[in-house]
Amino acid sequence: MNIYISCDMEGVAGVCSWEQVDARSYTPEYFIYQRHMTAEVNAAIEGARSAGATGMLVNDSHGPMRNLLLDELPADVRIMFGNRKPHSMVHGMNATYGGAFFTGYHGAIGDMNAALAHTYTPSVVYNARINGVTCSEATINAGLAGFYGVPVLLVTGDRVSVESVRSQMPWVEGVIVKESIGNYATDSISPEAAQQLIREGAARAIRNAGKAKPYVFKAPIELEIDLSRVEQADFIELIPGFMRTGARSVRFVHDDYPTVFRAFVAAFRMGAVAGNPA
Amino acid sequence: MRLYVSCDMEGTAGICSWMQCDPSNRYEYPVYRRYMMKEVRAAIDGARSAGANDVVVNDSHWDMRNILWDELPSDVRVISGSRKPNSMTQGLQPGFGGAFFTGYHAAIGVENGVLAHTYTGDSVYNVRMNGLACSEALLNAAMCGYYGIPLLLLTGDSVVCKHINEHMPWVTTVVVKEGIGHYATDSLTPRAAQDLIREGAAQAIRDASKAEIFTFKSPVTMELEMTRIEQADFVELMPGFIRTGGRTLTFEHQDYAMVFRAFVAAYRLASAATPVA
Repeated sequence: MNIYISCDMEGVAGVCSWEQVDARSYTPEYFIYQRHMTAEVNAAIEGARSAGATGMLVNDSHGPMRNLLLDELPADVRIMFGNRKPHSMVHGMNATYGGAFFTGYHGAIGDMNAALAHTYTPSVVYNARINGVTCSEATINAGLAGFYGVPVLLVTGDRVSVESVRSQMPWVEGVIVKESIGNYATDSISPEAAQQLIREGAARAIRNAGKAKPYVFKAPIELEIDLSRVEQADFIELIPGFMRTGARSVRFVHDDYPTVFRAFVAAFRMGAVAGNPA
Repeated sequence: MRLYVSCDMEGTAGICSWMQCDPSNRYEYPVYRRYMMKEVRAAIDGARSAGANDVVVNDSHWDMRNILWDELPSDVRVISGSRKPNSMTQGLQPGFGGAFFTGYHAAIGVENGVLAHTYTGDSVYNVRMNGLACSEALLNAAMCGYYGIPLLLLTGDSVVCKHINEHMPWVTTVVVKEGIGHYATDSLTPRAAQDLIREGAAQAIRDASKAEIFTFKSPVTMELEMTRIEQADFVELMPGFIRTGGRTLTFEHQDYAMVFRAFVAAYRLASAATPVA
């Protein structure tokens, strides 16, 4: 079985501040957690392979999307590296995968007690809903995997993130590596203990893959985005197909989920340029 | 007659550098801002001498806050400020008898067009509608046409005036300068330009009945060539855009106003596609 791994960073054991996950400021903190992030991905790969998984694609899905320490990964995995992939955190997803792992994932914007919770772009996305379901990144990404018939098998992160995924997809194996205390603190197991749990969880996830289901949004698919600021909605409204539903809310409807997904990516990118005119 | 005026700046007499047009410039911009306003005033005065009455001025340059209120008559309406969904054509609606484009400039890539560009100089490499290479003047004239409004007057350098008359022979054009390459000009004085614009505007109103409506036939196909490949990567994300090459896209719609807005969306989204650090 081929496995698709989308690895984020905020849900890695111990992580509780932006400094630890900020790839661009080159703080000593980042280099520590970059190693832990890679080790958690390795643990997931090892666990999956111990249960019979074979081909692995790892899509670096955090920040500039080039965080993984490549030397530390097994030599025979495929790496998706770098930013601005049209399907972003789930780029390259297709029907050849037997399942998807989401490691280091975090809560949706607005979630309580979810460290560093956000949904793609915290400065733009205030809330995202698809067919009325409030979405985390995990939900949105699971929908794209589901479009290709690929079920999510494993999610790792803090308790709120994992439980949120399991409430939408009860078949997903969840590995809770920490309890978040508000947005910027955590009560965490050690990285080593987290990696061990992830190894075991990944193996269980592969063994239970037969019970997992693709997570599919029924067409017509309605995307609703609440924006942080009104000028972001002004810009997003310009994108063909988007309707303005309120001062800070927009709506996009389409039958094809990849189109909806890309429209969401276009929207948060467009929102990011709607700063104050000088 | 109700009159719509879209005023840009690069085509104002004497202008030949971005410093003169950039609102953050503290020395040259304030001088040329006043010339820009006096040209708008001349167009309004000329139009009114020939019978135009209600006037709407849409500030269409840069951050679109160039208006000097004391240079304008007290009874005009002004659309000011940036990010208008229809940008340089904001506020158009049926009911205007005609449109004036003042201070306009040539399309990106045009020789001897002073400060030639098409909306954003750093992302639009070329834009075509139904195969026709477009300047801002053509894109905006077609928005006027969409609402049944003819373009009556255009002022700017000789290249943009010639260009607009090739497509709309009925437009009164006022050439205020000749471009010498991209950054130099052989120009009338501002005062002489204002006199010509005043006369041209009056003539344009008197000739209004001969003017025609400029439109793109539906369905309208926009072909967009981006300056850099990563800009096309971003624009492609938007529903309805089809990637046709490394730096090229198309967008088609029955309704030109939708195509125009898609164009605005495209160059705005492209501005987010800065090189990855």
